[in-house]
Amino acid sequence: MADFPLAVNVQGDYGYKVIVVDDGNTIAEVIDTATDQIVGVLVPPFPEGTVLRARLHDAGEPLDNTVTVKEADLVQMEALVVYAA
Amino acid sequence: MALLKMEDWYDLARETNWTPGYVTEDELFPHPMSNNFDIPVETWETFDEPYKITYRDYVQSQRDKDVGAYSVKAALARADFFRKASPHWKALLALHFSAVCWAEFHSASAFARMTRFSRSPGMRNMATFGTLDEIRHGQIQIYFAYEFLKHDAVFDWCHKSSKTENWIIISLRHALDDIAHTRDATSAAIMLNMGLELAFTNLQFVALSADAAKSGDHSFATMLQSIQTDEARHAQIGEPMVRIMVENGKKKEAQQLVDIAFWRMWKQFAALSGIGMDYYTPLEHREHSLKEFMEEWVIGQFGRTVEALGLDLPWYWDILKHDISTFHHANQIGVYVYRATEWWRPIAGVSPAEREWLEEKYPGWNETYGKCWDTVIENIRNGDYDKTVPVAPPLICNMCGLEVTGIAGGKWKPVNHHVDIDDRRYHFCSEPCKWIFELEPQRYKGHKSIIDRVFDGTIGPEADDFYEYMGQSPAERGVDGYDYQWIDGYDDKSGEAAPVRAAV
Repeated sequence: MADFPLAVNVQGDYGYKVIVVDDGNTIAEVIDTATDQIVGVLVPPFPEGTVLRARLHDAGEPLDNTVTVKEADLVQMEALVVYAA
Repeated sequence: MALLKMEDWYDLARETNWTPGYVTEDELFPHPMSNNFDIPVETWETFDEPYKITYRDYVQSQRDKDVGAYSVKAALARADFFRKASPHWKALLALHFSAVCWAEFHSASAFARMTRFSRSPGMRNMATFGTLDEIRHGQIQIYFAYEFLKHDAVFDWCHKSSKTENWIIISLRHALDDIAHTRDATSAAIMLNMGLELAFTNLQFVALSADAAKSGDHSFATMLQSIQTDEARHAQIGEPMVRIMVENGKKKEAQQLVDIAFWRMWKQFAALSGIGMDYYTPLEHREHSLKEFMEEWVIGQFGRTVEALGLDLPWYWDILKHDISTFHHANQIGVYVYRATEWWRPIAGVSPAEREWLEEKYPGWNETYGKCWDTVIENIRNGDYDKTVPVAPPLICNMCGLEVTGIAGGKWKPVNHHVDIDDRRYHFCSEPCKWIFELEPQRYKGHKSIIDRVFDGTIGPEADDFYEYMGQSPAERGVDGYDYQWIDGYDDKSGEAAPVRAAV
């Protein structure tokens, strides 16, 4: 278990932000951390029922929400985008 | 005895060179300071600047310009312009003076290197004037800026800023160190003159001077004109340098120097002058948008100059054409929401009337960047001031030191480029920033952005540690320049009353 900085761009935001998670956090928890800090601050709340996913910046496929940061083999400061699926 | 006419002696004087007898040529002009790019000295001696001036005429004209600028300043001192100026113009003045004064003063060092280590005597002659110019530009601007100290302590940063580790200063210093202060005399001449002065500052000072005059700030306008006329002269040093290199088989090297310098300076220009033009200049005094300025004067005029010299347009020209409509809008949001990390009082510049102007100049602005502002505005109207400041810090580009941004809102398009070296991930805001890094990773990889310094422990974990590291006492942390009064226009539109606002 260790602090793990990630670069995240939440859908609608003008740029990437840096958040700190634990490498034992799941991708779903990473999404929660990112949206907690950005939604309502720089982007409006997503419509109720919106399913959010995360993917590597250059990837087409989303990451599995249930895997941990460590299991997903992310590197520190990895760039993730969080978007409405 | 009658004096000789200038044309009878000028060329002989400026072309006079000598052959060293006590040291070798290489010792006199060591490679790290004086790269000759394997072009023989006889060829460098053909350097011929288009703008010729003698020392006697230089001193006379500089004296006249100083007299003019200082006279206007003295005459207008009683006008109390600053006290009555809008927060828009105050923010612009604070940003200009605190970023430009020391940068000009430090440029004297780059010109002094050209004066000593250039291979052409004519160029050394011109660079001597350039050195004197830059000393004057630093001094006159600090002098004019300090006039405002009695009104506003923020102008202390005109002198202080370059000695701090504030993130914006780190960004500007990194760029100027790269193109002007850590290059040999030949490279610095091309990069500083072509990439900064000819491309941007010469023209920018014309535009800013016009805006200042329209805003009634005649003292600032006169000072800028006084500086611009120097820029127009000494920026000419770069052109003959490029021409010599192109004509002697060194086009690729010259092209790379111009391409690096131009992009590095564009990013600084976008953040500082772009925000100045499109957000800080009072709406009623705006002459043109950043995009219009760039299209006419830089993409158009500078582009033609580059091609006329035998170079190609930089490979990223199409990227630039897109960037002029996006990058500074995204960065203005960041500059506003992270305002406590700046020493001046930032303004939003997005009142309803200003948004109309932005939408007219940048069709689609409301659907993109305007969406982020909608959320900020909603929070202010609800009195949720804490929510106007993100908890998460921004990702900073490991080349330009500015935020890594894309397109916001309904046309959301995240942008990110990266390189992995020695188990470290480097992020870039653009392909050209990444390209510059990859040309010389050894040159750049040791530098850490302000955010890198937070995560490697250079900066302590508390919020105050961050501000203290950047040299900002509590009184030197930016707050909204209008104390949020700018959203009154939104209240008028909806007919709803705004909640009572507290200063944050």
